[in-house]
Amino acid sequence: MSPSPLKATEVDPRLLEVLVCPATHTPLEYDREAKELISRAAGLAYPIRDGVPVMLPEEARTLTD
Amino acid sequence: MERAAASFPAADFLKARAAEDVAWRLSAILRRFPRAVDLSARSGVFSQKLWESAAAAQVDELVEADLSPAMLGRAEGGGRLRVVADEERLPFAAQSFDLAVSLLSLHWTNDLVGALVQIRRALKPDGLLIATIFGGATLTELRQSLLQAEAEVSDGAGPRVSPFADALDAAGLLQRAGFALPVSDVDRITVRYDHPLKLMADLRAMGEASALADRPRRPLSRRVLARMSDIYAERFRLEDGRIPATFELITLTGWAPHASQPKALMPGSAKMRVADALGVPEQLLARG
Repeated sequence: MSPSPLKATEVDPRLLEVLVCPATHTPLEYDREAKELISRAAGLAYPIRDGVPVMLPEEARTLTD
Repeated sequence: MERAAASFPAADFLKARAAEDVAWRLSAILRRFPRAVDLSARSGVFSQKLWESAAAAQVDELVEADLSPAMLGRAEGGGRLRVVADEERLPFAAQSFDLAVSLLSLHWTNDLVGALVQIRRALKPDGLLIATIFGGATLTELRQSLLQAEAEVSDGAGPRVSPFADALDAAGLLQRAGFALPVSDVDRITVRYDHPLKLMADLRAMGEASALADRPRRPLSRRVLARMSDIYAERFRLEDGRIPATFELITLTGWAPHASQPKALMPGSAKMRVADALGVPEQLLARG
């Protein structure tokens, strides 16, 4: 695989394409600013740390709104 | 698991061997797997072996998943598709991958069939799973020695090594999880150690010792460890003075169902007698 021109903190679109919420298996929204993948169905925001999505519900932030 | 990250490279010989073996198996299958996922990426052993192997041309992209961010963080190189995920709760959309690989990791799951079902769902129809798990004969010498030492030294012995799968069970598990054409085969590797405590140190480095230490919750006492070492040496010592440790690697392969795959016929649906096909007179077997 050739090195990607993406910044290290960005999630590769090829990865975004296959990711869903592990709790509900529903699609995710990518919040670039907050570095989170948001699952509206589960009410969870999964953190992205160093460009690596952490798809564990116990590591996710609970959505308040 | 996190504790294992710092010392992993020293002890990953089994994983490297399993990774090479899977890459070799892939190269023998005459088809492409454009999108692949490694569900037990650790620091990227399979990725390295895959891109070095003849199978590299068969795969376009590899998603590397692991439960441990610390392990994934050790993987070097830009543009890698890395994700922290739990094999029991996969974060992948249905029919995402042509190939899923899991090396020496599924024996950690509490619900192996459930994990296999999730993997099958993440595969495209006719997608392939290759998984390596530890088989039942793994660490048999250690288990026997520990059990005996604990029975002698403390008031009770408890199982201290994860329950490993049986080679015969394994293909059945794949079938229960809905895989077609399930196959399992076994490879036994004997590693020689200078001392049983070096084996224990290696297991700890591999992350397998937490399975050892999990139940019962109290850690092994020095006395039990010392007695275990003596028993291990007495019962199993080789001619060269070292001790053997058996690792049984079961490789599971199965395909996500697809209409093009061959299927077994229903019993009794044969249109020709076996005796005719063989050109011999039919003999009825006595029931016993």
